[in-house]
Amino acid sequence: MSEKVFDRITSAGLIGIKKVELKKTFGKNCDNILQKLIDEKQIFVEKKGVAYFVWTRDNYISYLSQNDPKCKIVLSVAMGKSHLEAKVKEYDNNIGDIVNKTSQQNVANQVSDFKVEFDRRLTESSTSIGWAPFSDIRKKICESKKISSENFYSMATELVERHREKYEVSSGGQEGIIMRGLVHGYVRNV
Amino acid sequence: MYAYQLENNPYPSSPTPTEKDARILGGKRHKEAKSAILECIKELYNKVGGRDSNDGDFRIITLIQDVGSGKTHLALHIKNLQSRHNTVCTFLDLSTISPKTIPSLYNAIVKGFENDFFIHLRTKLVEYIQDRAEQGDNSAKKALDYSFMNKLSGLTIKQKAEEIISGKASVSVENIKKFLVQWFNYYESNLIQNILTNSFDTVTNLEELLGMMAAISKLTHRFLSKIVLYEIDEFDGNPDSIEFIKGIINAHLPASVVLLISTPSGYAEIQGKSPSVFDRLEKANYKIDLVGSNSQEELLEIVLEYIKHNDKKGKFTQKTQDELDEKIRVLYDEFPEFRSVRSIINILYHAMEKSSELDLEKIDEIAIDETIKHTYPGLKVRGSIMAVPISDFISIRKTCEDESTGTQLKKAVTNLVNFAHEMGNIGKLEKQNQPLDVVYQDPYGSKIGIAVVINENHAKNFEEISNISKSSALVDKLVILTNSNLPSSESTIIVNVDKSKMVDLLYFNNRYADHKIGSSDNEKVRMLARTVNII
Repeated sequence: MSEKVFDRITSAGLIGIKKVELKKTFGKNCDNILQKLIDEKQIFVEKKGVAYFVWTRDNYISYLSQNDPKCKIVLSVAMGKSHLEAKVKEYDNNIGDIVNKTSQQNVANQVSDFKVEFDRRLTESSTSIGWAPFSDIRKKICESKKISSENFYSMATELVERHREKYEVSSGGQEGIIMRGLVHGYVRNV
Repeated sequence: MYAYQLENNPYPSSPTPTEKDARILGGKRHKEAKSAILECIKELYNKVGGRDSNDGDFRIITLIQDVGSGKTHLALHIKNLQSRHNTVCTFLDLSTISPKTIPSLYNAIVKGFENDFFIHLRTKLVEYIQDRAEQGDNSAKKALDYSFMNKLSGLTIKQKAEEIISGKASVSVENIKKFLVQWFNYYESNLIQNILTNSFDTVTNLEELLGMMAAISKLTHRFLSKIVLYEIDEFDGNPDSIEFIKGIINAHLPASVVLLISTPSGYAEIQGKSPSVFDRLEKANYKIDLVGSNSQEELLEIVLEYIKHNDKKGKFTQKTQDELDEKIRVLYDEFPEFRSVRSIINILYHAMEKSSELDLEKIDEIAIDETIKHTYPGLKVRGSIMAVPISDFISIRKTCEDESTGTQLKKAVTNLVNFAHEMGNIGKLEKQNQPLDVVYQDPYGSKIGIAVVINENHAKNFEEISNISKSSALVDKLVILTNSNLPSSESTIIVNVDKSKMVDLLYFNNRYADHKIGSSDNEKVRMLARTVNII
């Protein structure tokens, strides 16, 4: 019974749960159980307005740390070294996240730009049957985008693999993307 | 007995198709290309019907696609259909002729026809001479070697002609020339003599070669009422090949269709070496496009067609088709090696043999796994950290889109955390705290929460992730594993779980649940735990 009550309080998260609701669910015995849990310092009870709210210890601290400015200061002083380390690590992660997010956005833009440019150059270079040598497209894109040949083929490989239904490649030629161990030097739109 | 109770292996084993293999043609794109070629033949046939053919009755078709895409197969399939479409066909593979001299090219063209073609033409020619002889043409009688003695003995001209047709008698070589020059041009006369005497002269220059080809076409149309289809495979930038094809195009062979088969690289070579031939090819009457010939749907149709064609007992039901379909889709998606008609047919040929050896009712994951181990021994599942065997990969991969995948992955992540705890990579485990699936402490005492959000509906994923993110205050670090492509936020680390990672996690879970994780797997599992930010 005690475990069930505790689980219910835990599941309420940071918002906490009204004592009345617990009584409705678990009956009158609930009071004794709550008292026991308070004695064991597993839960906290606080009056908000006219109602009593119950939290688990962890949730209560988190609740206070988010809502009570004084508590925030006290906690930051009172918390041990490990918490500070964790916080430093968290900031570290946050900075990393921001960098990642920015670089992910840049990569997404780059990929999208490359596709547009690739399609344009492919249309320009193809014969009546639609095939165009990768080398022709590579020369034009490397010049306009100022990227290396390796970069071009790495992006072209990814593009073709990602949009398999849109591009067809064919083996042969002096340069191209490598598939099945073969140089595929020709490409066309499907 | 092979899988699906087939008596023979339905798949061809040769790296290039034979005429026999080409009797079956599957795939929407290939069938469309076939229709286009037959349409061209029909159009020309209707145009020249009931009149003499001339040099305007010439068509060029180009068929240009990558190696292994089924071009030769299609050409041989059309050749097999020749009797049904008022066509006679010769198939010439330029790669088998070296050096590409004029005599060797002519020899290959003649050999490319079926024997029956020359027998029929010979019969018609003898009947023509017989007809002239019966009308009182003395030179025709002499050509048939029909003498006064023959007449006295009661042998009729018709009987004499029949003896020649059956090989009991022969024409008069000396007199046939005199007869033919009256009615046929130089090359036609020579060709008729060759056919009647069953001995083909060699030709020494391009003019003679083209003259003889025009004679074949003209006589075929006149005496058999058929048009000639010249199928020329492996056309590329070879100077002799280019000269030969340029000659053919300029010669305007009467009542003829030339099907030129090449690859995009061969086509580019021609463009570089002979702009004039390239320009002629660019203006071909028909350009057959096998676009999408290596697409997943096309390969599936082709592969299934072989079994359907040979399924005399009706054992290849819709259910078994769907099962095989699923496996092939996985092979296609995950292995670029199997994205061509030739390679997938090769795999299925061996899988079929394996099914016979293992007495399997159908081609299952094990047959495919065994086949790949033997036929492609170096092949591994791309991006797999757990080195998942191909058979397990196929069976797990096809369940990745099931509704239960999310639940399975939650279990897998929980077990991966348990494993990391057993290995001492993480601190103590904490009680599960909804909506988080796992909560534990890292070695520094920080509290880590992991939630798995896997849904087909990505909008649902965003909603769930947004709700879970509110719980970030409960832990020092919140990690969400999801199949949606989302960036991490300040409070939450998002780990994208792609199909390959899903398979790795599910494979680990199966082995962990069965207590099959050996010490040799420890490092792989650690690596997997690292990729999902558990350690």
